[in-house]
Amino acid sequence: MKESYVDLINIRRKVFVEIAKMAYEDTDLNELEKAAYNIIPGEVAKYRENIFRERAVVEERLRLTMGLNVRSMSEFTRVTEGIDEVNVDETKFIPDLVNVITFACEACPTRALKVTDNCRKCLAHPCTNVCPVNAVSIGKDRAIIDQDKCIKCGRCKEACPYSAIVEYQRPCAAVCGVNAIESDHLGRAKINQEKCVSCGRCIIQCPFGAIADKSQIYQLVKALKTKKNMYAMIAPSFIGQFGALTTPEQIVEGIKRLGFKDVVEVSLGADITTLHEAKEFLQKVPNEIPFMGTSCCNSWALMVKNKFPEQYEYISDSASPMVETAKYIKKNDPDAIITFIGPCISKKLEALREDVKDFVHFVITFEELMGMFVAKNIELSEIEISKEIQDASTLGRGYSVAGGVAEAVKKTAQLLDPSREINVESASNLADCVKLMFQAKAGRKNGYLLEGMACPGGCIAGPGTLASTTRVKKAVEEFKNKAPYKTPLDNELIDDELKNK
Amino acid sequence: MKVKVCMGSNCTLLGAMNLLDQIESLRELIEENSLEYKDEELEIESIKCLGYCKTTDANIAPVVIVDEDVIFNATGQIVMEKIMDKMRI
Repeated sequence: MKESYVDLINIRRKVFVEIAKMAYEDTDLNELEKAAYNIIPGEVAKYRENIFRERAVVEERLRLTMGLNVRSMSEFTRVTEGIDEVNVDETKFIPDLVNVITFACEACPTRALKVTDNCRKCLAHPCTNVCPVNAVSIGKDRAIIDQDKCIKCGRCKEACPYSAIVEYQRPCAAVCGVNAIESDHLGRAKINQEKCVSCGRCIIQCPFGAIADKSQIYQLVKALKTKKNMYAMIAPSFIGQFGALTTPEQIVEGIKRLGFKDVVEVSLGADITTLHEAKEFLQKVPNEIPFMGTSCCNSWALMVKNKFPEQYEYISDSASPMVETAKYIKKNDPDAIITFIGPCISKKLEALREDVKDFVHFVITFEELMGMFVAKNIELSEIEISKEIQDASTLGRGYSVAGGVAEAVKKTAQLLDPSREINVESASNLADCVKLMFQAKAGRKNGYLLEGMACPGGCIAGPGTLASTTRVKKAVEEFKNKAPYKTPLDNELIDDELKNK
Repeated sequence: MKVKVCMGSNCTLLGAMNLLDQIESLRELIEENSLEYKDEELEIESIKCLGYCKTTDANIAPVVIVDEDVIFNATGQIVMEKIMDKMRI
């Protein structure tokens, strides 16, 4: 989340509330035609140049939240077009997950170096002198960069003593670590779905709110109303997300009041993943594979699969904490219908995988969950509950902060085999993950455990969060220390068989 | 001076925690230039839902209270300006 984008965040979340309310109240879906008027009331534009466009963008957000595609602007289509297909009580995924709302996109220019009016046309003009392709000349008012010649090396910018040259970049493309943002025929952002790994960074960085992912909250609420065996599992970064006064126990109880039978910490699955990965590492590295990558971040794993297909087998075979937690729930209740609640949108794709779809049935974000709480009038901080949450170890609860996964696997592996030295290296944004993989591919990370995460700082910085990373990091630390077990090897909920060497 | 930030569900949804972060960040600004500000503690408290939004259909979240002054639809810039003005000597 980008906290300073206040208006954008609020519009996004109001849409979640609106859709969750419609689902809880069994509203006739034809009312979707009016919903944008609830979110953007009145007749004066507040966010864009006119209120019609504001509402039109909100209508696309309503559609995406329902799980539908963005409409084409070149032909008449109702807001409710295709609604029957998604008016169901099970996940209905219509590709793609991450979408550009084309008419919300302002077609920002692509990356370029620009001279601002800070330029004083100085005598030294180092900008011209350092340019390797002779693209900078001194014009009448200021230096001029010939954009056809410029190779965007940035040397002029570095050399200018007045900070007069800026590097300009589309915010969506700037944060995309896999260069998946391209342009359509009108210069608007277009996502190359072959390259996109659905990390969601462009969604939160676009200052015009032109990119959004699809949600499953409507179908989830419908399922909660009709089905009995609904379970939720909540990712380790949930601590501190739902208000400064709300305790982890109140969050869990609040989720139950939404209609879930029980809630399990995904940190329990993290403990199980840790044990699998620790054993796998001890067994395979360095004899079978030169290094091992962690498997819990879906965007990281997808990136390796797309960009480094030959090294993809070096990513751990262990299932992610989400999947392990779901398997644990399924073992106790084979009819369980399971919802993953996390900071992540990439998990929405992971849950559709052939080997995962029978375990994880819905995926929503913390933001979407908050929308459900508000729709259902649940005041979390007023819930009275004394029962403590005791599913996971300190190490499992640390998974959400960058470095936490590798630390857990390393410590556990060393408990299993104290003689082993284990080197770890972590990267926590996709661009750095790509760099790390290039080094690994070149053989410079042999013997290493590589932790890759797509979000800067780990899952606590995921696109579906509500609280700042500083706030959550502190809260996670406190919650870690309250864990009933120190390491996964102590966790009594896990089969002893898995703990043996 | 006492600032209360409502942490009800509606306020939390619409950015109450960010407001809290922003208000807390003022302490640092005040400390850095302590001579320009009153020697008065900036007390910041998260409070449970006061129920304002439940009594009206209007959208009023988030709610922040600066001393006795109740601010509806609180934004960072309005709340921070108010606090800084009151703290300045």
